[in-house]
Amino acid sequence: MEASGVPPDAPPLLSIVGLSKSYGGLRAVDNVTLEIRRAEVLAVVGDNGAGKSTLVKALAGAQPPDEGEVRIDGKVVELRTPRDAEAAGIGCLHQGLGLVDALDVPENVFLGREPQIRVLGLIPQLDHRTMRERTIELLDRFGIHLPRLNDPVSRLSGGQRQTVAISRLLLQDVRVVIMDEPMAALGVAEGHRVLDLVRSMRQQGITVLVISHNLEHVFQLADRIAVMKNGRLIGVVATAETTREAIVRMITFGQTH
Amino acid sequence: MPSSQAIVASSAIGHADRRWIFEGLGLTLVVIALALIFTWINPRFATATNLINILTQASYYIVIAIGMTFVITSAGIDLSVGSLLALITVVGFELIKEGLHPALGVALMFAMGGLIGAFTGSLIAFVKIPPFIATLGMMAVLRGLALVHSAGNMHYGLPPSLTWIGQGSLAGAPVPVVIALLFALFGAWLFNHTRFGLHVRAIGGNREAARLAGVRVNLVEVLVYTMMGLTTALGGLIMIARIDSTQATIGTAMEIHVISAVIIGGTSLFGGRGTIYGTVLGAILLSMMTNALVIAGVDFFWQLVVMGVIVLLAVAISNLRERRISVLAFLLRRPGGAAASQGGV
Ligand SMILES: Nc1ncnc2c1ncn2[C@@H]1O[C@H](COP(=O)(O)OP(=O)(O)OP(=O)(O)O)[C@@H](O)[C@H]1O
Ligand SMILES: [Mg+2]
Repeated sequence: MEASGVPPDAPPLLSIVGLSKSYGGLRAVDNVTLEIRRAEVLAVVGDNGAGKSTLVKALAGAQPPDEGEVRIDGKVVELRTPRDAEAAGIGCLHQGLGLVDALDVPENVFLGREPQIRVLGLIPQLDHRTMRERTIELLDRFGIHLPRLNDPVSRLSGGQRQTVAISRLLLQDVRVVIMDEPMAALGVAEGHRVLDLVRSMRQQGITVLVISHNLEHVFQLADRIAVMKNGRLIGVVATAETTREAIVRMITFGQTH
Repeated sequence: MPSSQAIVASSAIGHADRRWIFEGLGLTLVVIALALIFTWINPRFATATNLINILTQASYYIVIAIGMTFVITSAGIDLSVGSLLALITVVGFELIKEGLHPALGVALMFAMGGLIGAFTGSLIAFVKIPPFIATLGMMAVLRGLALVHSAGNMHYGLPPSLTWIGQGSLAGAPVPVVIALLFALFGAWLFNHTRFGLHVRAIGGNREAARLAGVRVNLVEVLVYTMMGLTTALGGLIMIARIDSTQATIGTAMEIHVISAVIIGGTSLFGGRGTIYGTVLGAILLSMMTNALVIAGVDFFWQLVVMGVIVLLAVAISNLRERRISVLAFLLRRPGGAAASQGGV
């Protein structure tokens, strides 16, 4: 039902072609070719060590692949640094969140793209005020209220930290959002807000690639499901045309039927 | 949302974390208490001349320790500051004595400090040599070069335009103190209110997260050591202008003094968190100690011993301070825990 919103013949927004990445002798991602359509939610599932995060890191410019290329709108993009990915309109939530414990909430939310004001119209200085106000706005969208934004995020709970990390995605002007285990540490209510967020992103035409071990979430969210095993892409299936049992079989045995 | 507004309003006061403000206050009280104790032991300590003397002496340590605050906050360390100071000052001093225009001589000292700092930073950021080892190596290299340049030579006799920097006064205050104060204000602004300062804290706190967020971690790291070199040049300039002399062995054991000031000030040795205000107080505290020891007739070698003990104490106290929370929690929980186990039995 949800999948019907996506025209089946839409050109792929993001294509990954023949992507490989090895760590020493280990092929963590092995010749993966995958197309992600405009405004779809694609879930990537697979056992621990299947290569999901490695794939994400390649798309985020965090760890350039050994081989293969990434195209957006049919054009090849070079993703050598996280800045390249941002410039290409890719926003990313990494597994383990990637917050800096010692920094406070607004500093974490805005790290790497801080708004500045000019003192005496000349000298750039951090715009702490804007950072705080926008942070509060973003957290309000999750219904999260943090008593002290000034505290280092090391003093926040796991779910609060995760919300901070996710709010980073909402700052950027993104076309593709990649989330590696976004719901992992969240309570039921916060988890639902992330699900809602993902759906609203799709409505805004944002393409979402989400990685999760939680098949219940995956089936609620995804238009299609891609299964990885031992670095290889086993298959991609439309959520409406598959069952949990079939996906589990693919994850464990690498079988498509 | 009234609470949201309250948060925004409170941001006008400043963005610093409360706990750090309390720690800054605590250290201020310690400095005042120490001053009172020293005065009680020997009233000569509290004369205006002596207090000004302490601040003047602290001034170049303050300047260099501010550079070191950035380095340590970035999860680095710089052991080569004393050697760098020696090399910069012997070379600069000699060229100025040989007739180089003082302004050019000073510019050259800063250029040397910045370039050598950038080199050290590159060893750390690009060649991936751990800061401790990279700067240990640089410490030997630079001291060696200073000795090659002028082993056994004592340089003295700067033009008055330069000695003014170390000995002159501005509106009744010693020039070095004025420079140190202005530089501390600049340092605090840079640390807390600029992108550079934020990125330094970010790479010290979690380098990988900073990189993923788009921070140019290598560039920031090189800049941190470049700044360290520049502050060493400034500190060295004030120092030689004040004593109107330099030699290849100047600044020996200076890294201990500077690193101690930073740690006593409360900057985390593990990176990510630091305080310029604390560093300034730490440097003043050390100068007070040194001064009190001198007044008491304790010689330099024993001063070094005392300094070392103070550093160890400072680190021990800061570790205890971190743990105090759980110790307190433990003490508070104990009766409840005992009651629970009684209830269980
Ligand atoms: N930096 C690294 N150095 C060496 N090997 C790595 C590195 N990162 C990942 N690997 C290896 O690559 C393989 C794929 O890892 P990856 O993190 O992509 O798995 P994953 O599918 O995200 O697993 P999980 O579900 O546990 O997060 C694993 O075998 C892992 O041990
Ligand atoms: Mg993973």
